[in-house]
Amino acid sequence: MVIEALVFYVFAAIAVLCGVMVISARNPVHSVLYLILAFFNAAGLFVLQGAEFLAMLLVIVYVGAVAVLFLFVVMMLDVDVKKLRSGVVRYMGIGMTLGAVLFAEMVVAIGYWYFTPEKLGIPEKVSATPAISDAHNTEALGNLIYTNYVYLFQGAGMVLLVAMVGAIVLTLREREGVKRQRIAKQVAQPSAEEVKVVKVQTGGGI
Amino acid sequence: MEIGIAHYLTVAAALFSLGLAGIFLNRKNVIIIMMSVELMLLAVNINLVTFSAHLQDLVGQVFAMFVLTVAAAEAAIGLAILVVYYRNRASIAVDDIHTMKG
Amino acid sequence: MEELLREYLPILIFLGLAIILSVVMIFGSMLLARQKPDSEKVSAYECGFEAFDDARTRFDVRFYLVTLLFIIFDLEVAFLFPWAVSLGNIGLFGFWSMVVFLGILTIGFAYEWKKGALEWE
Repeated sequence: MVIEALVFYVFAAIAVLCGVMVISARNPVHSVLYLILAFFNAAGLFVLQGAEFLAMLLVIVYVGAVAVLFLFVVMMLDVDVKKLRSGVVRYMGIGMTLGAVLFAEMVVAIGYWYFTPEKLGIPEKVSATPAISDAHNTEALGNLIYTNYVYLFQGAGMVLLVAMVGAIVLTLREREGVKRQRIAKQVAQPSAEEVKVVKVQTGGGI
Repeated sequence: MEIGIAHYLTVAAALFSLGLAGIFLNRKNVIIIMMSVELMLLAVNINLVTFSAHLQDLVGQVFAMFVLTVAAAEAAIGLAILVVYYRNRASIAVDDIHTMKG
Repeated sequence: MEELLREYLPILIFLGLAIILSVVMIFGSMLLARQKPDSEKVSAYECGFEAFDDARTRFDVRFYLVTLLFIIFDLEVAFLFPWAVSLGNIGLFGFWSMVVFLGILTIGFAYEWKKGALEWE
Protein backbone atom coordinates (compact mmCIF):
# COMPACT_ATOMS: atom_id res chain seq x y z
CA MET A 1 0.00 0.00 0.00
CA VAL A 2 2.87 2.32 0.84
CA ILE A 3 4.51 1.42 -2.43
CA GLU A 4 1.29 2.19 -4.27
CA ALA A 5 1.08 5.62 -2.68
CA LEU A 6 4.73 6.29 -3.42
CA VAL A 7 4.38 5.22 -7.04
CA PHE A 8 1.27 7.37 -7.40
CA TYR A 9 3.10 10.44 -6.12
CA VAL A 10 6.08 9.83 -8.41
CA PHE A 11 3.93 9.35 -11.51
CA ALA A 12 1.64 12.26 -10.68
CA ALA A 13 4.51 14.62 -9.92
CA ILE A 14 6.35 13.77 -13.13
CA ALA A 15 3.15 14.06 -15.18
CA VAL A 16 2.35 17.51 -13.83
CA LEU A 17 5.95 18.69 -14.17
CA CYS A 18 5.98 17.49 -17.76
CA GLY A 19 2.74 19.38 -18.33
CA VAL A 20 4.45 22.54 -17.10
CA MET A 21 7.40 21.90 -19.39
CA VAL A 22 5.17 21.23 -22.42
CA ILE A 23 3.71 24.70 -22.28
CA SER A 24 6.89 26.51 -21.23
CA ALA A 25 9.67 24.83 -23.22
CA ARG A 26 11.42 27.13 -25.66
CA ASN A 27 11.93 24.52 -28.34
CA PRO A 28 8.82 22.78 -29.74
CA VAL A 29 10.81 19.55 -30.07
CA HIS A 30 11.40 19.56 -26.31
CA SER A 31 7.68 20.22 -25.83
CA VAL A 32 6.83 17.10 -27.79
CA LEU A 33 9.31 15.02 -25.79
CA TYR A 34 7.84 16.27 -22.51
CA LEU A 35 4.36 15.47 -23.86
CA ILE A 36 5.53 11.91 -24.48
CA LEU A 37 6.80 11.65 -20.90
CA ALA A 38 3.53 13.07 -19.57
CA PHE A 39 1.56 10.45 -21.50
CA PHE A 40 3.85 7.73 -20.23
CA ASN A 41 3.29 8.74 -16.63
CA ALA A 42 -0.45 8.99 -17.20
CA ALA A 43 -0.28 5.40 -18.45
CA GLY A 44 1.37 4.55 -15.13
CA LEU A 45 -1.55 6.17 -13.29
CA PHE A 46 -3.99 4.12 -15.39
CA VAL A 47 -2.21 0.91 -14.42
CA LEU A 48 -2.42 1.91 -10.75
CA GLN A 49 -6.19 2.11 -11.13
CA GLY A 50 -6.45 -1.22 -12.87
CA ALA A 51 -7.15 0.12 -16.36
CA GLU A 52 -4.40 -1.95 -17.94
CA PHE A 53 -5.70 -1.96 -21.48
CA LEU A 54 -6.12 1.79 -21.65
CA ALA A 55 -2.62 2.24 -20.25
CA MET A 56 -1.14 0.08 -22.97
CA LEU A 57 -3.32 1.80 -25.58
CA LEU A 58 -1.99 5.14 -24.40
CA VAL A 59 1.57 3.90 -24.80
CA ILE A 60 0.95 2.35 -28.21
CA VAL A 61 -1.22 5.03 -29.77
CA TYR A 62 0.05 8.21 -28.14
CA VAL A 63 3.69 7.53 -27.39
CA GLY A 64 4.08 5.38 -30.46
CA ALA A 65 2.11 7.28 -33.04
CA VAL A 66 0.58 10.64 -32.16
CA ALA A 67 3.72 11.98 -30.51
CA VAL A 68 5.72 10.86 -33.52
CA LEU A 69 3.24 12.72 -35.72
CA PHE A 70 3.77 15.88 -33.68
CA LEU A 71 7.52 15.43 -33.85
CA PHE A 72 7.26 15.00 -37.61
CA VAL A 73 5.33 18.21 -38.03
CA VAL A 74 7.63 20.16 -35.73
CA MET A 75 10.64 18.97 -37.71
CA MET A 76 8.90 19.39 -41.04
CA LEU A 77 7.74 22.95 -40.59
CA ASP A 78 11.07 24.35 -39.36
CA VAL A 79 9.37 27.37 -37.84
CA ASP A 80 10.94 30.51 -36.46
CA VAL A 81 10.58 29.79 -32.78
CA LYS A 82 11.66 33.19 -31.51
CA LYS A 83 9.01 35.04 -33.46
CA LEU A 84 6.28 32.69 -32.32
CA ARG A 85 7.18 33.08 -28.68
CA SER A 86 7.06 36.86 -28.74
CA GLY A 87 3.65 37.05 -27.05
CA VAL A 88 4.51 34.81 -24.13
CA VAL A 89 5.37 37.52 -21.66
CA ARG A 90 2.32 39.54 -22.62
CA TYR A 91 -0.09 36.68 -22.07
CA MET A 92 1.77 35.21 -19.10
CA GLY A 93 -0.40 37.01 -16.57
CA ILE A 94 -3.80 36.15 -17.93
CA GLY A 95 -2.84 32.58 -18.83
CA MET A 96 -1.42 31.82 -15.40
CA THR A 97 -4.32 33.51 -13.64
CA LEU A 98 -6.94 31.62 -15.62
CA GLY A 99 -5.18 28.33 -15.11
CA ALA A 100 -4.76 28.92 -11.39
CA VAL A 101 -8.39 29.99 -10.94
CA LEU A 102 -9.67 26.97 -12.83
CA PHE A 103 -7.42 24.66 -10.82
CA ALA A 104 -8.50 26.19 -7.52
CA GLU A 105 -12.16 25.85 -8.47
CA MET A 106 -11.75 22.24 -9.43
CA VAL A 107 -9.82 21.39 -6.28
CA VAL A 108 -12.53 22.99 -4.16
CA ALA A 109 -15.17 21.05 -6.06
CA ILE A 110 -13.27 17.78 -5.69
CA GLY A 111 -12.37 18.35 -2.05
CA TYR A 112 -15.90 19.03 -0.85
CA TRP A 113 -17.65 16.33 -2.77
CA TYR A 114 -18.00 12.84 -1.57
CA PHE A 115 -18.48 10.53 -4.50
CA THR A 116 -20.62 7.46 -4.19
CA PRO A 117 -22.81 5.94 -6.87
CA GLU A 118 -25.92 6.90 -4.87
CA LYS A 119 -24.89 10.54 -4.54
CA LEU A 120 -24.13 10.80 -8.23
CA GLY A 121 -27.60 9.53 -9.03
CA ILE A 122 -26.49 6.26 -10.54
CA PRO A 123 -28.77 3.80 -8.78
CA GLU A 124 -27.55 0.71 -10.58
CA LYS A 125 -24.39 0.09 -12.48
CA VAL A 126 -24.81 0.03 -16.21
CA SER A 127 -21.90 -2.30 -16.65
CA ALA A 128 -20.21 -3.32 -13.45
CA THR A 129 -16.55 -4.17 -13.44
CA PRO A 130 -16.18 -7.91 -13.02
CA ALA A 131 -13.76 -9.23 -10.43
CA ILE A 132 -10.21 -9.43 -11.67
CA SER A 133 -10.25 -13.19 -11.16
CA ASP A 134 -13.27 -13.56 -13.46
CA ALA A 135 -12.18 -11.46 -16.38
CA HIS A 136 -9.18 -9.23 -16.76
CA ASN A 137 -9.46 -5.67 -17.96
CA THR A 138 -9.06 -6.25 -21.69
CA GLU A 139 -11.60 -9.06 -21.73
CA ALA A 140 -14.11 -7.09 -19.67
CA LEU A 141 -13.80 -4.16 -22.07
CA GLY A 142 -14.17 -6.45 -25.05
CA ASN A 143 -17.36 -7.91 -23.60
CA LEU A 144 -18.87 -4.44 -23.60
CA ILE A 145 -17.59 -2.55 -26.62
CA TYR A 146 -18.74 -4.80 -29.43
CA THR A 147 -22.20 -5.59 -28.13
CA ASN A 148 -23.55 -3.02 -25.67
CA TYR A 149 -21.76 -0.06 -27.24
CA VAL A 150 -21.87 -1.14 -30.86
CA TYR A 151 -23.08 2.24 -32.17
CA LEU A 152 -20.23 4.07 -30.47
CA PHE A 153 -17.87 1.50 -31.90
CA GLN A 154 -19.15 1.95 -35.45
CA GLY A 155 -19.04 5.72 -34.89
CA ALA A 156 -15.36 5.38 -34.00
CA GLY A 157 -14.88 3.51 -37.26
CA MET A 158 -16.57 6.36 -39.14
CA VAL A 159 -14.36 8.92 -37.38
CA LEU A 160 -11.29 6.98 -38.43
CA LEU A 161 -12.57 6.78 -42.01
CA VAL A 162 -13.19 10.52 -42.11
CA ALA A 163 -9.74 11.19 -40.67
CA MET A 164 -8.15 8.97 -43.30
CA VAL A 165 -10.04 10.51 -46.22
CA GLY A 166 -9.53 14.03 -44.86
CA ALA A 167 -5.82 13.59 -44.48
CA ILE A 168 -5.48 12.27 -48.02
CA VAL A 169 -7.58 15.09 -49.46
CA LEU A 170 -5.61 17.70 -47.55
CA THR A 171 -2.05 16.58 -47.97
CA LEU A 172 -1.87 14.47 -51.11
CA ARG A 173 -1.07 16.38 -54.22
CA GLU A 174 -0.53 15.12 -57.70
CA ARG A 175 2.74 16.00 -59.25
CA GLU A 176 3.04 16.75 -62.93
CA GLY A 177 5.53 14.96 -65.09
CA VAL A 178 6.34 12.13 -62.75
CA LYS A 179 6.85 8.75 -64.35
CA ARG A 180 5.14 6.12 -62.27
CA GLN A 181 5.45 2.39 -62.44
CA ARG A 182 2.21 0.85 -63.68
CA ILE A 183 2.46 -2.65 -62.35
CA ALA A 184 -0.82 -3.95 -63.78
CA LYS A 185 0.14 -2.82 -67.27
CA GLN A 186 3.59 -4.31 -66.89
CA VAL A 187 2.26 -7.67 -65.85
CA ALA A 188 -0.45 -7.71 -68.49
CA GLN A 189 1.98 -7.03 -71.32
CA PRO A 190 2.08 -10.07 -73.64
CA SER A 191 5.56 -11.25 -74.47
CA ALA A 192 4.71 -11.77 -78.16
CA GLU A 193 4.57 -8.00 -78.79
CA GLU A 194 7.75 -7.08 -77.03
CA VAL A 195 10.24 -9.89 -77.55
CA LYS A 196 11.57 -10.84 -80.93
CA VAL A 197 13.71 -13.94 -81.33
CA VAL A 198 16.38 -13.45 -83.93
CA LYS A 199 18.72 -16.06 -85.23
CA VAL A 200 22.22 -14.66 -85.30
CA GLN A 201 24.96 -16.14 -87.36
CA THR A 202 28.29 -16.69 -85.70
CA GLY A 203 30.63 -13.85 -86.57
CA GLY A 204 27.89 -11.77 -88.22
CA GLY A 205 25.87 -8.98 -86.59
CA ILE A 206 22.27 -8.10 -86.97
CA MET B 1 -1.50 7.28 2.95
CA GLU B 2 -4.61 5.95 1.24
CA ILE B 3 -4.70 7.15 -2.36
CA GLY B 4 -8.31 7.96 -3.08
CA ILE B 5 -10.36 9.40 -5.85
CA ALA B 6 -9.51 12.98 -4.88
CA HIS B 7 -5.80 12.45 -5.52
CA TYR B 8 -6.33 11.32 -9.10
CA LEU B 9 -8.88 14.04 -9.76
CA THR B 10 -6.43 16.64 -8.51
CA VAL B 11 -3.79 15.44 -10.95
CA ALA B 12 -6.34 15.57 -13.76
CA ALA B 13 -7.40 19.08 -12.70
CA ALA B 14 -3.78 20.22 -12.67
CA LEU B 15 -3.16 18.84 -16.16
CA PHE B 16 -6.37 20.40 -17.47
CA SER B 17 -5.48 23.81 -16.02
CA LEU B 18 -1.99 23.52 -17.49
CA GLY B 19 -3.51 22.81 -20.89
CA LEU B 20 -5.71 25.87 -20.57
CA ALA B 21 -2.81 28.06 -19.48
CA GLY B 22 -0.75 26.68 -22.36
CA ILE B 23 -3.31 27.83 -24.89
CA PHE B 24 -3.11 31.37 -23.54
CA LEU B 25 0.66 31.36 -23.13
CA ASN B 26 1.48 30.19 -26.63
CA ARG B 27 -1.10 32.11 -28.55
CA LYS B 28 1.10 32.39 -31.61
CA ASN B 29 2.20 28.81 -31.98
CA VAL B 30 -0.47 26.43 -33.25
CA ILE B 31 1.61 23.32 -32.60
CA ILE B 32 1.91 24.08 -28.88
CA ILE B 33 -1.79 24.92 -28.76
CA MET B 34 -2.57 21.50 -30.20
CA MET B 35 -0.26 19.89 -27.65
CA SER B 36 -2.13 21.74 -24.92
CA VAL B 37 -5.40 20.38 -26.27
CA GLU B 38 -3.91 16.90 -26.14
CA LEU B 39 -2.93 17.54 -22.53
CA MET B 40 -6.50 18.56 -21.71
CA LEU B 41 -7.88 15.46 -23.38
CA LEU B 42 -5.43 13.39 -21.34
CA ALA B 43 -6.77 15.03 -18.19
CA VAL B 44 -10.31 14.16 -19.29
CA ASN B 45 -9.25 10.56 -19.82
CA ILE B 46 -7.69 10.41 -16.36
CA ASN B 47 -10.98 11.68 -14.94
CA LEU B 48 -13.00 9.07 -16.83
CA VAL B 49 -10.74 6.24 -15.77
CA THR B 50 -10.69 7.42 -12.16
CA PHE B 51 -14.45 7.50 -11.89
CA SER B 52 -14.67 4.18 -13.70
CA ALA B 53 -12.27 2.60 -11.23
CA HIS B 54 -13.85 4.05 -8.11
CA LEU B 55 -17.47 3.50 -9.05
CA GLN B 56 -16.67 -0.03 -10.24
CA ASP B 57 -18.29 0.70 -13.58
CA LEU B 58 -16.56 -0.02 -16.87
CA VAL B 59 -18.42 2.51 -19.01
CA GLY B 60 -15.87 5.17 -18.14
CA GLN B 61 -13.08 3.10 -19.60
CA VAL B 62 -15.08 2.30 -22.72
CA PHE B 63 -15.72 5.98 -23.20
CA ALA B 64 -12.10 6.87 -22.51
CA MET B 65 -11.14 4.52 -25.32
CA PHE B 66 -13.42 6.36 -27.74
CA VAL B 67 -12.10 9.70 -26.53
CA LEU B 68 -8.62 8.40 -27.30
CA THR B 69 -9.71 7.49 -30.82
CA VAL B 70 -11.30 10.85 -31.47
CA ALA B 71 -8.29 12.67 -30.01
CA ALA B 72 -5.92 10.82 -32.30
CA ALA B 73 -8.08 11.55 -35.33
CA GLU B 74 -8.33 15.20 -34.28
CA ALA B 75 -4.56 15.49 -33.92
CA ALA B 76 -4.05 13.89 -37.31
CA ILE B 77 -6.50 16.17 -39.14
CA GLY B 78 -5.40 19.27 -37.23
CA LEU B 79 -1.79 18.68 -38.12
CA ALA B 80 -2.76 17.99 -41.74
CA ILE B 81 -4.52 21.36 -41.86
CA LEU B 82 -1.44 22.91 -40.30
CA VAL B 83 0.83 21.38 -42.93
CA VAL B 84 -1.37 22.64 -45.77
CA TYR B 85 -1.55 26.08 -44.17
CA TYR B 86 2.20 26.22 -43.78
CA ARG B 87 2.63 25.22 -47.41
CA ASN B 88 0.46 28.13 -48.53
CA ARG B 89 1.64 30.83 -46.14
CA ALA B 90 5.11 29.67 -45.02
CA SER B 91 4.25 30.44 -41.40
CA ILE B 92 2.06 28.97 -38.72
CA ALA B 93 1.29 32.15 -36.80
CA VAL B 94 -2.28 32.20 -35.52
CA ASP B 95 -2.58 35.91 -36.34
CA ASP B 96 -2.62 35.22 -40.06
CA ILE B 97 -5.35 32.62 -39.96
CA HIS B 98 -8.08 35.22 -40.43
CA THR B 99 -6.88 35.62 -43.99
CA MET B 100 -8.26 32.17 -44.79
CA LYS B 101 -11.38 32.02 -46.88
CA GLY B 102 -13.92 29.35 -47.69
CA MET C 1 -6.72 -4.79 -7.22
CA GLU C 2 -3.92 -5.71 -4.85
CA GLU C 3 -2.91 -8.81 -6.77
CA LEU C 4 -3.04 -6.92 -10.05
CA LEU C 5 -0.56 -4.38 -8.77
CA ARG C 6 1.63 -7.12 -7.39
CA GLU C 7 1.90 -8.50 -10.91
CA TYR C 8 3.17 -5.14 -12.07
CA LEU C 9 5.83 -4.92 -9.35
CA PRO C 10 8.55 -6.60 -11.46
CA ILE C 11 7.91 -4.06 -14.22
CA LEU C 12 8.23 -1.25 -11.72
CA ILE C 13 11.50 -2.66 -10.39
CA PHE C 14 12.72 -3.08 -13.95
CA LEU C 15 11.81 0.52 -14.74
CA GLY C 16 13.56 1.79 -11.63
CA LEU C 17 16.68 -0.23 -12.38
CA ALA C 18 16.73 1.02 -15.97
CA ILE C 19 16.50 4.64 -14.84
CA ILE C 20 19.16 4.18 -12.15
CA LEU C 21 21.48 2.39 -14.55
CA SER C 22 21.19 5.04 -17.25
CA VAL C 23 21.74 7.85 -14.76
CA VAL C 24 24.79 6.06 -13.33
CA MET C 25 26.21 5.56 -16.82
CA ILE C 26 25.78 9.17 -17.86
CA PHE C 27 27.08 10.72 -14.66
CA GLY C 28 29.76 8.07 -14.22
CA SER C 29 31.24 8.93 -17.58
CA MET C 30 31.01 12.62 -16.73
CA LEU C 31 32.87 12.08 -13.47
CA LEU C 32 35.42 9.46 -14.46
CA ALA C 33 36.44 10.30 -18.01
CA ARG C 34 38.94 13.02 -18.74
CA GLN C 35 37.11 16.00 -20.18
CA LYS C 36 39.21 18.44 -22.13
CA PRO C 37 36.92 19.94 -24.72
CA ASP C 38 38.27 22.31 -27.31
CA SER C 39 36.58 23.90 -30.28
CA GLU C 40 37.75 21.18 -32.70
CA LYS C 41 36.64 18.33 -30.49
CA VAL C 42 33.11 19.59 -29.92
CA SER C 43 32.45 20.69 -33.48
CA ALA C 44 30.18 18.57 -35.64
CA TYR C 45 32.00 15.94 -37.66
CA GLU C 46 30.62 15.08 -41.05
CA CYS C 47 33.04 12.78 -42.87
CA GLY C 48 35.81 15.30 -42.44
CA PHE C 49 33.98 18.12 -44.19
CA GLU C 50 32.54 21.17 -42.63
CA ALA C 51 28.85 20.49 -42.02
CA PHE C 52 27.02 21.51 -45.20
CA ASP C 53 23.78 22.69 -43.66
CA ASP C 54 21.52 22.46 -40.68
CA ALA C 55 20.50 18.99 -39.54
CA ARG C 56 16.86 20.11 -39.38
CA THR C 57 16.07 20.27 -43.04
CA ARG C 58 12.48 20.23 -44.20
CA PHE C 59 11.30 16.99 -45.63
CA ASP C 60 8.53 15.78 -47.82
CA VAL C 61 4.84 15.86 -46.89
CA ARG C 62 4.46 12.28 -48.01
CA PHE C 63 6.32 11.08 -44.91
CA TYR C 64 3.61 12.80 -42.91
CA LEU C 65 0.88 11.10 -44.89
CA VAL C 66 2.42 7.70 -44.23
CA THR C 67 2.63 8.41 -40.48
CA LEU C 68 -0.96 9.51 -40.45
CA LEU C 69 -2.23 6.42 -42.20
CA PHE C 70 -0.15 4.41 -39.75
CA ILE C 71 -1.97 6.05 -36.82
CA ILE C 72 -5.37 5.22 -38.28
CA PHE C 73 -4.50 1.58 -38.75
CA ASP C 74 -2.79 1.51 -35.36
CA LEU C 75 -6.09 2.48 -33.76
CA GLU C 76 -7.91 -0.08 -35.83
CA VAL C 77 -5.58 -2.78 -34.54
CA ALA C 78 -6.03 -1.45 -30.99
CA PHE C 79 -9.74 -2.16 -31.32
CA LEU C 80 -8.95 -5.68 -32.49
CA PHE C 81 -7.20 -6.69 -29.26
CA PRO C 82 -10.20 -6.76 -26.86
CA TRP C 83 -12.30 -8.27 -29.61
CA ALA C 84 -9.85 -11.12 -30.04
CA VAL C 85 -9.67 -11.74 -26.29
CA SER C 86 -13.43 -11.80 -25.71
CA LEU C 87 -14.58 -13.33 -28.97
CA GLY C 88 -15.87 -16.36 -27.07
CA ASN C 89 -18.28 -14.28 -24.98
CA ILE C 90 -19.71 -11.79 -27.43
CA GLY C 91 -21.14 -14.26 -29.89
CA LEU C 92 -21.98 -13.78 -33.55
CA PHE C 93 -23.20 -10.22 -33.05
CA GLY C 94 -19.84 -9.10 -31.73
CA PHE C 95 -18.10 -10.88 -34.56
CA TRP C 96 -20.20 -9.17 -37.23
CA SER C 97 -19.93 -5.74 -35.60
CA MET C 98 -16.17 -6.02 -35.95
CA VAL C 99 -16.55 -7.16 -39.56
CA VAL C 100 -18.62 -4.04 -40.28
CA PHE C 101 -15.97 -1.90 -38.57
CA LEU C 102 -13.23 -3.48 -40.65
CA GLY C 103 -15.40 -3.01 -43.75
CA ILE C 104 -15.70 0.72 -43.10
CA LEU C 105 -11.95 1.02 -42.78
CA THR C 106 -11.44 -1.12 -45.86
CA ILE C 107 -13.41 1.51 -47.80
CA GLY C 108 -10.84 4.04 -46.62
CA PHE C 109 -8.02 1.71 -47.53
CA ALA C 110 -9.42 1.21 -51.03
CA TYR C 111 -9.78 4.99 -51.37
CA GLU C 112 -6.19 5.69 -50.42
CA TRP C 113 -4.97 2.91 -52.69
CA LYS C 114 -6.97 4.33 -55.60
CA LYS C 115 -5.70 7.86 -54.95
CA GLY C 116 -2.14 6.61 -54.92
CA ALA C 117 -1.37 7.77 -51.39
CA LEU C 118 0.73 4.67 -50.83
CA GLU C 119 2.80 5.09 -53.94
CA TRP C 120 6.31 6.40 -53.83
CA GLU C 121 7.52 8.01 -56.96
